[in-house]
Amino acid sequence: MLVFRSEEHVDRWCAVRGLPRRPVVTLDQLWQLAVAWYSNRLTPEARRPMGAEVREIFQRLGLTDPFWDT
Amino acid sequence: MDDLDLRHHVYTATVESGRPPLSGDVAAALGVSRTEVLDGFQRLRARRLLYLAPDTGEVVMAPPFAAAPTAFLVAARGRTYFANCVWDAYGIAAALGSDAAIEASCGCCGEPMALAVEGGRSAATPGVAHFAVPAAHWWDDLPYT
Repeated sequence: MLVFRSEEHVDRWCAVRGLPRRPVVTLDQLWQLAVAWYSNRLTPEARRPMGAEVREIFQRLGLTDPFWDT
Repeated sequence: MDDLDLRHHVYTATVESGRPPLSGDVAAALGVSRTEVLDGFQRLRARRLLYLAPDTGEVVMAPPFAAAPTAFLVAARGRTYFANCVWDAYGIAAALGSDAAIEASCGCCGEPMALAVEGGRSAATPGVAHFAVPAAHWWDDLPYT
Protein backbone atom coordinates (compact mmCIF):
# COMPACT_ATOMS: atom_id res chain seq x y z
CA MET A 1 0.00 0.00 0.00
CA LEU A 2 1.01 3.59 -0.59
CA VAL A 3 1.05 6.76 1.47
CA PHE A 4 -0.53 9.98 0.25
CA ARG A 5 -0.42 13.56 1.42
CA SER A 6 -4.22 13.70 1.67
CA GLU A 7 -7.42 11.92 0.65
CA GLU A 8 -7.65 14.25 -2.36
CA HIS A 9 -4.36 12.80 -3.59
CA VAL A 10 -5.77 9.29 -3.13
CA ASP A 11 -8.82 10.25 -5.19
CA ARG A 12 -6.65 11.68 -7.96
CA TRP A 13 -4.32 8.66 -8.01
CA CYS A 14 -7.25 6.23 -8.27
CA ALA A 15 -9.02 8.29 -10.94
CA VAL A 16 -5.96 8.63 -13.17
CA ARG A 17 -5.35 4.87 -13.04
CA GLY A 18 -8.97 3.79 -13.24
CA LEU A 19 -8.59 1.93 -9.97
CA PRO A 20 -11.31 1.58 -7.34
CA ARG A 21 -11.10 3.88 -4.34
CA ARG A 22 -10.48 1.65 -1.34
CA PRO A 23 -10.51 2.47 2.39
CA VAL A 24 -7.81 4.72 3.78
CA VAL A 25 -6.33 4.67 7.25
CA THR A 26 -4.72 7.47 9.19
CA LEU A 27 -1.00 7.28 9.82
CA ASP A 28 -1.68 6.76 13.52
CA GLN A 29 -3.96 3.81 12.69
CA LEU A 30 -1.24 2.47 10.42
CA TRP A 31 1.36 2.74 13.19
CA GLN A 32 -0.93 0.86 15.57
CA LEU A 33 -1.51 -1.76 12.88
CA ALA A 34 2.27 -2.09 12.48
CA VAL A 35 2.72 -2.56 16.22
CA ALA A 36 0.02 -5.24 16.31
CA TRP A 37 1.47 -7.02 13.29
CA TYR A 38 5.21 -6.75 13.77
CA SER A 39 6.20 -5.94 17.36
CA ASN A 40 7.19 -9.56 18.12
CA ARG A 41 8.57 -10.33 14.67
CA LEU A 42 12.20 -10.59 15.79
CA THR A 43 11.55 -13.11 18.54
CA PRO A 44 12.23 -16.83 17.98
CA GLU A 45 8.55 -17.68 18.45
CA ALA A 46 7.30 -14.91 16.15
CA ARG A 47 4.40 -15.57 13.82
CA ARG A 48 1.92 -13.68 11.72
CA PRO A 49 -1.42 -12.77 13.30
CA MET A 50 -4.07 -15.07 11.87
CA GLY A 51 -7.83 -15.65 11.85
CA ALA A 52 -9.69 -14.30 14.85
CA GLU A 53 -6.61 -12.43 16.00
CA VAL A 54 -6.54 -10.44 12.75
CA ARG A 55 -10.25 -9.67 13.01
CA GLU A 56 -9.75 -8.47 16.59
CA ILE A 57 -6.91 -6.17 15.53
CA PHE A 58 -8.96 -4.63 12.72
CA GLN A 59 -12.01 -4.16 14.94
CA ARG A 60 -9.93 -2.57 17.70
CA LEU A 61 -8.67 -0.02 15.17
CA GLY A 62 -12.14 0.67 13.82
CA LEU A 63 -11.51 -1.12 10.52
CA THR A 64 -14.89 -2.82 10.17
CA ASP A 65 -15.65 -2.42 6.45
CA PRO A 66 -16.04 -5.77 4.59
CA PHE A 67 -12.82 -4.76 2.83
CA TRP A 68 -10.98 -5.94 5.96
CA ASP A 69 -12.60 -9.39 6.07
CA THR A 70 -10.02 -12.14 5.87
CA MET B 1 17.52 -27.52 10.78
CA ASP B 2 14.23 -26.36 12.27
CA ASP B 3 12.27 -24.02 10.01
CA LEU B 4 11.59 -21.51 12.77
CA ASP B 5 15.28 -21.46 13.69
CA LEU B 6 15.97 -20.70 10.04
CA ARG B 7 13.37 -17.95 10.07
CA HIS B 8 14.84 -16.47 13.22
CA HIS B 9 18.33 -16.52 11.71
CA VAL B 10 17.07 -14.70 8.62
CA TYR B 11 15.61 -11.94 10.78
CA THR B 12 18.65 -11.69 13.04
CA ALA B 13 20.94 -11.38 10.01
CA THR B 14 18.59 -8.84 8.47
CA VAL B 15 18.67 -6.61 11.53
CA GLU B 16 22.47 -6.82 11.67
CA SER B 17 23.18 -6.18 8.00
CA GLY B 18 20.17 -4.15 6.90
CA ARG B 19 19.01 -6.65 4.25
CA PRO B 20 17.68 -10.22 4.28
CA PRO B 21 20.61 -12.63 3.72
CA LEU B 22 21.29 -14.78 0.68
CA SER B 23 20.88 -18.53 0.98
CA GLY B 24 24.63 -19.12 0.66
CA ASP B 25 25.37 -16.85 3.60
CA VAL B 26 22.68 -18.54 5.68
CA ALA B 27 24.06 -21.98 4.80
CA ALA B 28 27.56 -20.95 5.85
CA ALA B 29 26.32 -19.43 9.10
CA LEU B 30 24.21 -22.44 10.06
CA GLY B 31 26.59 -25.12 8.78
CA VAL B 32 24.08 -26.69 6.39
CA SER B 33 23.87 -26.98 2.62
CA ARG B 34 22.48 -24.21 0.44
CA THR B 35 19.90 -26.67 -0.86
CA GLU B 36 18.64 -27.26 2.66
CA VAL B 37 18.34 -23.52 3.18
CA LEU B 38 16.48 -22.98 -0.10
CA ASP B 39 14.12 -25.85 0.75
CA GLY B 40 13.54 -24.26 4.15
CA PHE B 41 12.84 -20.90 2.52
CA GLN B 42 10.16 -22.61 0.39
CA ARG B 43 8.48 -24.11 3.45
CA LEU B 44 8.51 -20.71 5.17
CA ARG B 45 7.02 -19.19 2.02
CA ALA B 46 4.23 -21.75 2.14
CA ARG B 47 3.51 -20.58 5.69
CA ARG B 48 3.55 -16.96 4.49
CA LEU B 49 6.50 -16.09 6.70
CA LEU B 50 8.85 -15.14 3.84
CA TYR B 51 8.31 -14.01 0.25
CA LEU B 52 10.75 -15.37 -2.33
CA ALA B 53 12.00 -14.53 -5.79
CA PRO B 54 10.26 -17.02 -8.10
CA ASP B 55 13.37 -17.64 -10.19
CA THR B 56 16.09 -17.94 -7.55
CA GLY B 57 14.20 -18.82 -4.38
CA GLU B 58 16.10 -16.13 -2.50
CA VAL B 59 14.33 -13.96 0.08
CA VAL B 60 12.72 -10.87 -1.43
CA MET B 61 10.74 -9.93 1.65
CA ALA B 62 11.16 -10.89 5.27
CA PRO B 63 8.21 -8.77 6.29
CA PRO B 64 8.52 -5.93 7.13
CA PHE B 65 12.05 -5.87 5.65
CA ALA B 66 12.76 -5.71 1.91
CA ALA B 67 15.81 -7.19 0.22
CA ALA B 68 15.97 -4.63 -2.59
CA PRO B 69 15.75 -0.84 -2.49
CA THR B 70 12.21 0.50 -2.32
CA ALA B 71 10.54 3.90 -2.01
CA PHE B 72 10.42 3.50 1.78
CA LEU B 73 13.75 4.01 3.56
CA VAL B 74 13.81 3.59 7.31
CA ALA B 75 16.64 4.86 9.52
CA ALA B 76 16.68 3.24 12.96
CA ARG B 77 19.28 2.13 15.47
CA GLY B 78 22.04 3.74 13.40
CA ARG B 79 21.26 1.67 10.31
CA THR B 80 19.03 1.98 7.27
CA TYR B 81 16.49 -0.56 6.07
CA PHE B 82 14.16 -0.72 3.09
CA ALA B 83 10.51 -1.46 3.78
CA ASN B 84 8.06 -3.14 1.40
CA CYS B 85 5.40 -0.46 1.87
CA VAL B 86 4.46 2.32 4.26
CA TRP B 87 2.85 -0.15 6.68
CA ASP B 88 6.09 -2.12 6.74
CA ALA B 89 8.09 1.09 7.19
CA TYR B 90 6.27 1.61 10.47
CA GLY B 91 6.58 -2.14 11.01
CA ILE B 92 10.38 -1.95 11.02
CA ALA B 93 10.22 0.59 13.83
CA ALA B 94 7.73 -1.64 15.67
CA ALA B 95 9.85 -4.77 15.19
CA LEU B 96 13.01 -3.03 16.36
CA GLY B 97 11.21 -1.28 19.22
CA SER B 98 13.00 1.84 18.12
CA ASP B 99 12.51 5.40 17.09
CA ALA B 100 12.75 5.73 13.33
CA ALA B 101 12.90 8.29 10.57
CA ILE B 102 11.09 7.21 7.42
CA GLU B 103 11.71 8.69 3.99
CA ALA B 104 8.63 8.24 1.85
CA SER B 105 6.83 10.11 -0.88
CA CYS B 106 3.24 10.76 -1.88
CA GLY B 107 1.99 7.98 -4.15
CA CYS B 108 0.17 10.57 -6.25
CA CYS B 109 2.46 13.56 -6.70
CA GLY B 110 5.80 12.22 -5.50
CA GLU B 111 6.23 14.98 -2.94
CA PRO B 112 8.63 13.78 -0.21
CA MET B 113 6.99 12.83 3.09
CA ALA B 114 9.07 12.61 6.24
CA LEU B 115 7.41 10.20 8.67
CA ALA B 116 8.73 9.32 12.08
CA VAL B 117 8.27 7.18 15.13
CA GLU B 118 9.28 8.83 18.38
CA GLY B 119 8.93 7.42 21.87
CA GLY B 120 6.66 4.60 20.79
CA ARG B 121 4.26 6.82 18.86
CA SER B 122 3.93 7.91 15.26
CA ALA B 123 4.81 11.55 14.80
CA ALA B 124 1.85 13.70 13.82
CA THR B 125 2.27 14.04 10.07
CA PRO B 126 -0.49 14.87 7.60
CA GLY B 127 -1.26 11.95 5.35
CA VAL B 128 -3.21 8.76 4.83
CA ALA B 129 -2.44 5.25 3.64
CA HIS B 130 -4.51 3.62 0.91
CA PHE B 131 -4.90 -0.14 0.70
CA ALA B 132 -5.48 -1.07 -2.93
CA VAL B 133 -6.14 -4.77 -2.27
CA PRO B 134 -8.80 -6.26 0.05
CA ALA B 135 -7.33 -7.96 3.11
CA ALA B 136 -8.35 -11.47 2.01
CA HIS B 137 -6.15 -11.14 -1.09
CA TRP B 138 -3.00 -9.50 0.29
CA TRP B 139 -0.84 -12.58 -0.31
CA ASP B 140 -2.22 -13.28 -3.82
CA ASP B 141 0.35 -10.84 -5.22
CA LEU B 142 2.29 -9.50 -2.27
CA PRO B 143 4.60 -7.13 -4.18
CA TYR B 144 1.55 -5.38 -5.68
CA THR B 145 -0.25 -5.32 -2.33
